[in-house]
Amino acid sequence: MKNNPINSSLGIFPKSWSEEHAGRIPGNIPIWVGILSELTEFGIFFVAYFIAKFYYPEVFTQGPQSLHTSLGVTNTIILLTSSYFMAKAMANIRLDNKSKCERYLWLAFFCGCLYLIIKTWEFYWNDLQGFGPSTSEFFTVYYYMTFNHFLHVGWASCAILWVIFRLRSGAYSSKENSGLEALAVYWHMIDLMWILIFPLLYVLR
Amino acid sequence: MKHVGKLEYYLLALIAITLFNTFLGEQFASTTLVTILIALTVTYKGFMVIDHFMELKGANKNLRFLMKLYFTIFPSLIILSAFY
Repeated sequence: MKNNPINSSLGIFPKSWSEEHAGRIPGNIPIWVGILSELTEFGIFFVAYFIAKFYYPEVFTQGPQSLHTSLGVTNTIILLTSSYFMAKAMANIRLDNKSKCERYLWLAFFCGCLYLIIKTWEFYWNDLQGFGPSTSEFFTVYYYMTFNHFLHVGWASCAILWVIFRLRSGAYSSKENSGLEALAVYWHMIDLMWILIFPLLYVLR
Repeated sequence: MKHVGKLEYYLLALIAITLFNTFLGEQFASTTLVTILIALTVTYKGFMVIDHFMELKGANKNLRFLMKLYFTIFPSLIILSAFY
């Protein structure tokens, strides 16, 4: 939000990065510090993927064919839909329509839970096929990336519950909703990471 | 949210691209052309989420630049990996 105290009190960025010079910061600065840190973490995983693929091309050609692609596709659609619900929640809080905002937050939460259930089933299915983190270099990268992403969806889903509690207690309105918006941009970041993970692990051979 | 009605369109487009990518991966061997196509669609999907769901279009230009740079660098590495 414009003139949000939490955005103007952190003098850790150059002046050219301020809201006055570069434009509005969705959410707040702390959540963006978190998001950029998470992007760096996932970036290291992606670099590790490309290095491993360079040294073990055969393993990375065979690996995706061993996975349950339908579960990966389903989870991609679920996460994209959850991002849509989150965007709708933001649209509704700006109209001061709190009941609709809460409904969309619950839908996003259920999408998060569904993702976690399907991903758990996928790990179980892999186990039944005899695949584990030490099966091959591909599966090592696969488990590092997907389990890390699984954790992010898990705690962000818990954060949705917290935001729903805050919404019910009247913390958010059309004028002040930076906390809700911070969760929204974080949730979209998790969706973005899956947009990169999905083709790397399930599609490209 | 300037165009609430457009969100549904963006969601459908993102799902359609995902299904198209999966079809390419399942039906064709990963030729250089298929890999480039998938990388470009990943960039496009990323840009859509960054601009319309994350709402960085018209917001902080530095954050938008960093996010878009991320979704340019890694799909570029996907293209590079096609030439291993």
